[in-house]
Amino acid sequence: MTKACYIIAVLGIFAGIANADAAGTDQPMFIFGGFGSMGISHSSMGSGDYVPDSSIPSGPGRTAAWSTTNDTRIAGNVAAQFTPKISALLQIDSEYHSGNTYQPEVEWAHVKYAFTPEASIRVGRLALPTFMEAENRDIGYTYAWIHPPVEVYRQEPITNSDGFDVTYRSQVGEWGNSIKALYGSAMRQTYASPIPSDLTSRNLWGIFDTAEYGSTTIHAAFQQRKTDSGYMLTGQGETQVTDRDLSAGVQYDPGDWFMMSEWILRESTYKTSAMYVSGGYRIQKFTPYLTYAQNSSGSFLPDSPPPSQDAIMLANREQSTISLGMRWDFMKNTDLKLQFDQVMLSANSNGYLENVPANATLFGSTFHVISAVVDFIF
Amino acid sequence: MDSVKPHGILRNCLKLLLLAMAAIPAGAQAAVVVIVSAKSPITSITAEQTARIFLGKTTSFPDDGDALPIDLTEGNAIRNEFYSKVIHKNPSQLAAYWAKVIFTGIGRPPIELANNEAVRKAVAKNPHAIGYIDKRDVNRSVRVILEP
Repeated sequence: MTKACYIIAVLGIFAGIANADAAGTDQPMFIFGGFGSMGISHSSMGSGDYVPDSSIPSGPGRTAAWSTTNDTRIAGNVAAQFTPKISALLQIDSEYHSGNTYQPEVEWAHVKYAFTPEASIRVGRLALPTFMEAENRDIGYTYAWIHPPVEVYRQEPITNSDGFDVTYRSQVGEWGNSIKALYGSAMRQTYASPIPSDLTSRNLWGIFDTAEYGSTTIHAAFQQRKTDSGYMLTGQGETQVTDRDLSAGVQYDPGDWFMMSEWILRESTYKTSAMYVSGGYRIQKFTPYLTYAQNSSGSFLPDSPPPSQDAIMLANREQSTISLGMRWDFMKNTDLKLQFDQVMLSANSNGYLENVPANATLFGSTFHVISAVVDFIF
Repeated sequence: MDSVKPHGILRNCLKLLLLAMAAIPAGAQAAVVVIVSAKSPITSITAEQTARIFLGKTTSFPDDGDALPIDLTEGNAIRNEFYSKVIHKNPSQLAAYWAKVIFTGIGRPPIELANNEAVRKAVAKNPHAIGYIDKRDVNRSVRVILEP
């Protein structure tokens, strides 16, 4: 929070000195806006909570048959352009998280300096673009699904980093490319069963590339961080664990329909992988879509310390989901979505269900989730 | 079941369709064209390059000159035609795109002007500007560089 205050102060100073510069352009200095979602979901599995994100402490299932906590949030956003070279962004997000509250948090707060139109540096709290929809994962209005596929997007619980990143955009013929290098640290409270934990990550760095050619977008990323979750994984004191993510994705969206797929290989004390493939067709204001997603169970690395019982549970979350849904753009800047998920847990896995009682054996079960959400931007 | 019946329905439908098509006067539909100032050295551009400029993915023309895109305001029929033909996005897809770009701090949408004439005047004045207007509003002050 202190860092965020600094940044707000910096914003204020810039606002004071930059007035003269902004007067010459037709663009307003500040763009105020926001987005939100109101969702409700039901799970047929009464022995565990279905949550799409590890920062959400409970959801539909065991805690309540119907729940509004998974896909309900509101966020305010200020984008400022002080001079052609200096801009800033502040985003405050209120969603259900640790402490069972909607206490607002600073999701992003950064200042950007553009050396040239192609090269820029940003300092502050930044989004971590692990996946194609990672930066906009909270903005339901920007994609067809109720939320990004759980099997893949739950692999990386860290969504932002306090530090800096450097971006370089280039264009070769019809290809556009944007490459980013990031360094920072992150703190996030997660509820990944069996143990709620504070994930403090240091020496977080990554390289992220997005290439575009016509309707095709390709994304590739590598990121690494040192996490103080060693005890949970190894049972041996305050060990630090190195987490590495290698992710890739491709999207084809010519306008009337879309197809996309993403993969991730993840390594901490164990190796795991996940993928999804999704497609949709746009008919007037309706976008029916179909998604298949799966993650593999983790295999422990031979040179890592012997895994604790908790680590074995954490590593073994194999499941797959078939989702069928529909987005309806029923009015300006607002959509309504309905989604049906069939989730299949693998043998020896409780999947990503949370708050499962210790004596429950849900291995191999299949259950259904139905969700409805209204997304809006303003 | 009368096996001739479906053909009869089909023939009637076809007749109705032809009648409907004949009833639409030719040229009633506005045609969008992409323009630059007559003072600009640019003589042509591809739809893909135009899309990159209007979506804020580049700030320059392919030959490296600065590009300043000028939009028509939301709800304008020519704007909808431009985004549908050149960018392949309907108004809600475009709103979703800009929500992503603005809220993640990547960029901002182009300046918007209220009508064809205002866009033509603004483009004519600035050799870096690029806009789109109804073909009927083109005059000598601007050059058409793409007829999608």
